[in-house]
Amino acid sequence: MAEEQRFLSASGAPIALRRRQHSASCRELAVRGPRLQLRSLSAATSAVWLAAYGLFALSENSMVLSAAIFITLIGLIIYLHFVKIDQESLLVIGSLGIQVTSSYASGKESTTFIEMGQVKDVVINEAIHMQKVIYYLCILLQDPEDPQGVSEVVPLFQSSKPRLDCLIEMYKSCQEILEQRKTAPQSS
Amino acid sequence: NSPAPLPERAIYGFALFLGSWFGFILYLIWAYVPETWLFSLGLTYWPQKYWAVALPVYLLVAVGIGYILLFGINMMSTAPLNSTHTITDNFAKKQQQKKFQEEAIPALRDIPISEVNRMFFLPEK
Repeated sequence: MAEEQRFLSASGAPIALRRRQHSASCRELAVRGPRLQLRSLSAATSAVWLAAYGLFALSENSMVLSAAIFITLIGLIIYLHFVKIDQESLLVIGSLGIQVTSSYASGKESTTFIEMGQVKDVVINEAIHMQKVIYYLCILLQDPEDPQGVSEVVPLFQSSKPRLDCLIEMYKSCQEILEQRKTAPQSS
Repeated sequence: NSPAPLPERAIYGFALFLGSWFGFILYLIWAYVPETWLFSLGLTYWPQKYWAVALPVYLLVAVGIGYILLFGINMMSTAPLNSTHTITDNFAKKQQQKKFQEEAIPALRDIPISEVNRMFFLPEK
């Protein structure tokens, strides 16, 4: 069962949330951000090349032009491979753990897995970020010594930054799985 | 410690008033009177007149940088999104649980974030 809903990110960009229920205790939430637009890519490239041409007109050094082409190419590759995140997904498997995946525009995927024993809860927290106060979904990790304490906070969906309406949907989906932990019989 | 006017405060105020006028006139003399006139009066060891212009400029630039510095210090001391300081702090961890009494207003305490989330976002049927 898959359904896709459109929402807005904290900065106003359109994002899409896709929820899939693989089984009674396994859910996947994927947030897709907007793809790299041709117009912003052309605008950035034209700006860099115009600046390089202006420098060339001033300095009469043709290396400036080759350097500008090189910089644009390397910059684009670095941006696509390290900065531009296309899709972030959260896979919650009831008795096993939570997997967080980020897919970059160049195809690179980076994954983190947190086993269920370490997960205390998945909550919506609000915090100051730059000049704004934003809501974000985060995983609270259990402190081994103190059953009530939180040892670490893992923020989720950091690059797409969904707004509260999308976060509430994701929170409800996660809580349905996490509630099964308490009612399920304890395995030794 | 009321801010009402007192005789001592009036005297302090007048002393500061006279002192600041004296300082201002001294600064004007230092900046404008030619060096040769000052030498002929015997005042040979005053600082260079360069400083009469440089010190105010230093002061104004420091004030401008102070705005940016304060903004930067604020941003640096804001807890990052992955820190536990956004969830709890020392006072909340060490708080004591008071016993629940019937028909009384419950005692003030820091409610854990899981409970707050459940109340806000999971609708009770």
